[in-house]
Amino acid sequence: METIKKIIVQVASDAVIEEGQRLTVTVPPKQLHPLMKALHGKEQLPFDYLISLIGMDWGDKLGVIYLLSPSQDLTRELVVITTTEERENPLLYSVTDLYETAHLNEREVYAMFGIRFINNPDMRPFLLDDTWNGFPLRKDYNADPARNPVTVISSEVRDDVPRIMEDENGNLVESTTRVFEKDDYIINIGPQHPSTHGVMHFRTALNGELIKKIDVRSGYIHRGIEKLCENLTYPQILHLTDRLDYLSANINRHAVCMCVEKAADIEVPPRAQYIRTIMDELNRISSHLLAFASHCNDLGATTAFIYGMREREHVLDIFDKTCGGRLIVNQDVVGGVMFDIYPDFQKDVKAFIPYMRKRLKEYEVFFSKNPIALRRMVDVGYLRREDAITYGVTGPAGRGSGWSCDVRIHKPYALYDQVEFTEVIRTEGDSYARYLNRLDEIEQALQIIEQLIDNIPEGEIQGKVKPIIRIPEGRYFQSVETGKGEFTVFIESKGDKNPYRMKFRSPSMAAVSVMPLISEGEFLADFIGIGGSMDYVIPDIDR
Amino acid sequence: MNYKQPLELTGLIANLDAFFREHLSPFWASVVEGLLILLVIVALYAVLALILIYVERKITGFFQSRLGPNRVGKYGSIQSIADMIKILIKEIIHIKRADLFLYYVAPFFVIGSSLMAFGAIPFGKGLQAVDFKMGVLYLIAVSSIGVLGVLLAGWSSNNKYSMLGAMRSGAQTISYELSAAFSLMTVVVLAGTMQLSEIVEGQRYVWNIFNGHIPALIAFLIYLTSGHAETNRGPFDLPEAEGELTAGYHTEYSGIQFGFYYLAEYLNMFIVAAIATTVFLGGWMPIQVHGWDTFNQVMWYIPSYVWFFGKTALLIFLSLWVRWSFPRLRIDILLNLEWKVLLPINLFNIVMMVVIVLAGWTLTDLFPKLFGLA
Amino acid sequence: MNGLIKYFTNIFVAIKNLLKGMGVTWRQFWAKKVTMQYPENRDTLVISDRWRSELTMPHDENNEHACTACGICMMNCPNGTITVTSSTVETEEGKKKRILDAYTWNQGSCTFCNLCVLTCPSKAIAFTNDFEGAVFNKKKLTYRLNQPGSKLREKKKTR
Repeated sequence: METIKKIIVQVASDAVIEEGQRLTVTVPPKQLHPLMKALHGKEQLPFDYLISLIGMDWGDKLGVIYLLSPSQDLTRELVVITTTEERENPLLYSVTDLYETAHLNEREVYAMFGIRFINNPDMRPFLLDDTWNGFPLRKDYNADPARNPVTVISSEVRDDVPRIMEDENGNLVESTTRVFEKDDYIINIGPQHPSTHGVMHFRTALNGELIKKIDVRSGYIHRGIEKLCENLTYPQILHLTDRLDYLSANINRHAVCMCVEKAADIEVPPRAQYIRTIMDELNRISSHLLAFASHCNDLGATTAFIYGMREREHVLDIFDKTCGGRLIVNQDVVGGVMFDIYPDFQKDVKAFIPYMRKRLKEYEVFFSKNPIALRRMVDVGYLRREDAITYGVTGPAGRGSGWSCDVRIHKPYALYDQVEFTEVIRTEGDSYARYLNRLDEIEQALQIIEQLIDNIPEGEIQGKVKPIIRIPEGRYFQSVETGKGEFTVFIESKGDKNPYRMKFRSPSMAAVSVMPLISEGEFLADFIGIGGSMDYVIPDIDR
Repeated sequence: MNYKQPLELTGLIANLDAFFREHLSPFWASVVEGLLILLVIVALYAVLALILIYVERKITGFFQSRLGPNRVGKYGSIQSIADMIKILIKEIIHIKRADLFLYYVAPFFVIGSSLMAFGAIPFGKGLQAVDFKMGVLYLIAVSSIGVLGVLLAGWSSNNKYSMLGAMRSGAQTISYELSAAFSLMTVVVLAGTMQLSEIVEGQRYVWNIFNGHIPALIAFLIYLTSGHAETNRGPFDLPEAEGELTAGYHTEYSGIQFGFYYLAEYLNMFIVAAIATTVFLGGWMPIQVHGWDTFNQVMWYIPSYVWFFGKTALLIFLSLWVRWSFPRLRIDILLNLEWKVLLPINLFNIVMMVVIVLAGWTLTDLFPKLFGLA
Repeated sequence: MNGLIKYFTNIFVAIKNLLKGMGVTWRQFWAKKVTMQYPENRDTLVISDRWRSELTMPHDENNEHACTACGICMMNCPNGTITVTSSTVETEEGKKKRILDAYTWNQGSCTFCNLCVLTCPSKAIAFTNDFEGAVFNKKKLTYRLNQPGSKLREKKKTR
């Protein structure tokens, strides 16, 4: 801590340091980049992992909150804030040269808040169309539908990229470049395509069958959940989190619940903790099964797809008996869980565990060792460890590149510090490592469930919660490990029953942002397969 | 030895022929007979396609732990007829900016090529429309026309997915034709003839796959693989690759035009299985053992076309089994498999077959008494 | 020579693994299928009790319900699917009392989050598992939950 403070004082003389839950540093825009560079280049435990980049509108000021952490020690989080009072043409400095994950995140902040970033080579808005009127997440946004009517005319995708660069003399120069060269053979993978797992749009320049360049576009199902949250109470927000990464619905919900519970100092009874953890792991199994299934389907193995779905159905049956929902489980509430387990819950889960183990063995024979599948996965879509960190690729994909990034191990929550399980890490970094990681994590999840299922204590399922939940003023973060990776909830509260600003870190966005890098030079067919191995969910990106 | 063959259609055909020749001049008799045969073949083509579509969907379902079609008719048995009606009355979407002439012509290449191959297959005793002297060569030649239709479709649709699919198809079909032709040639070496009827006749007591033992077995496996690849199905469905190219070369086709591709795809699967049956598995010839007259008579009670369709059905099942067990290959793996594995083995295999035939190591040469040749 | 041996071993290992994979599908071919035949299995179909499909307001034999028209459910609904209209009448004792006129629920925009049922102070509404709610017209998705002529149950009776 002291060394960090020393660095901060050295580099950014005007920095304001607050010590709260996390070390928080506020710096003027000019000093942001030197500070970030110093933190990123620190000798011991460099802050090389940008967990979340959050745009903010405080009414009088616009700004950005950076949540940083060393990739080797995820517990040492650091918050850096920079602000500008300019509202007409707000400019801040980009950190894209330090953190690759900042590319898409800064573009998202531009679309939502209108803040442009100097030195970001691509300053097109992300998630919103560039013809969108206004900046939705600003507090003074005019949401009148007449300002942004629904168009039925298809418009061309613009190819020119605006940017603001700083030259050697410190002057700002605005210029435009092009995404693709004039003669590129561009093919649209998406937004309507069987293998983009949703309405994702990859504009792909091809060189024969090989991928030359990819331009990622998203936002086709952007629902503005973060904006919606600002007008809802905390219990109401919960139903929206199920709809982010719908495959890890319960885990997302768990994150928001924990964030609110920690902030409002609500105690969760042990029985609820057990139920939550078991449900989370079941949810992880179903998420990984679907990832396995759709990955196989992307590689053309329809039968394996159906097998994966068949097993997933058993998990969904348990969900539907527990809480009346299959995909959108709707189980956790602030302070506990909504439904107690049903009488046969333990029996059903215990019957499922050996069944799933048997099927895992079958998958191994059927697909993991199939020579065609091996050729399609081994050494395909290679992601280096450094790239995984700088792009913020977590979850089974990040661990497939040798980065130990399991939130359950490093920042344990619920009952994860009381159960024994191993973090599945592979160093190959290819599609096959990511694929095997998921299957192994299913096995780990089964082990966690085995340890918990017989020990569920009796008692309350919900702690004491006031009818109207208010969170004391402050900033709150909570990370969980979903099926896709690290999911982080950020709440800024002004003490009301609604959050002032809510932001979700989406692991899928990181997975998509790295797609152009790892699929460059690969075959078009493999691009689809790599997409399957990264396992992104589009509603998670289009919050 | 003449066996009773109560269910064969040879008598009926002879009677029909006599009837026409009696009432019409020889020229018109040939014309009428030709038209009749054409009608029968086209009808058989359509009916077989419908049956195959149903069977494939049902079998696929079973492999995937599902029931397959089960809504229309008992066990979904008239599902494919319902599908056919739907596809016939569907609107044909006319696209702008396409090379319209080629766009409309392309499906006919595909269906024409498979019809031409279909016509030359011996379905049973006396059930062969044309029996060329160069039958095997004819089949190889005709089945390669189909790829033209695919290439034209991909080019004329003015769609990038179609284009990629067509290009893949071109590379794939041309490569695998080589293997298919070589493996058939291996058998031609063994049989000593290219005429399909003689090849069948030559397998009266022993199938070619056993007669030529090791090289014939290798040729059989290679033919199945490359034939499978030629039909653009199974793990070799790269030109379509619905996960990558949405529908590949026929993305832009709709209604009956798409129906043509669909039909041809299923029939090509049948044709490959039928050729393999004819060339390797004794065709329509019932299983017979030299000297066991009673046994042979029993076998002959089962009509030859049942034998033929039964053997073909087995091979089709095998093809479906493979198709639904494996992931799709990638274009470079596919071409590697052909040029680095199948083709070298094939070339070596054909030499081996020549040696075996010349040295007299085939089963018929080694044990002539068993097969009544001594 | 080593290369050649490797070449053929690779081929045979590949074929062996391919055949193993085919074995899995072969066993599956004969195994029992998992497909459920709806609607033929309607009689045996078990839908979990907690399944949420339709919001209902249970009425007793006297056509009385427990809804006091307090509007908490309406306030808690994140999507505004519930509309409670009420009127105030004067009872015989001269007290003012709120009476439920219409309780409408729009299934079309309901996300089945269960907040209305959870927060209802008088336990007047409940979700049922009657999942066959498909209709041909979007307008038909708006339901009125209180039966015509129904009234609030007297408190003594509930205790």
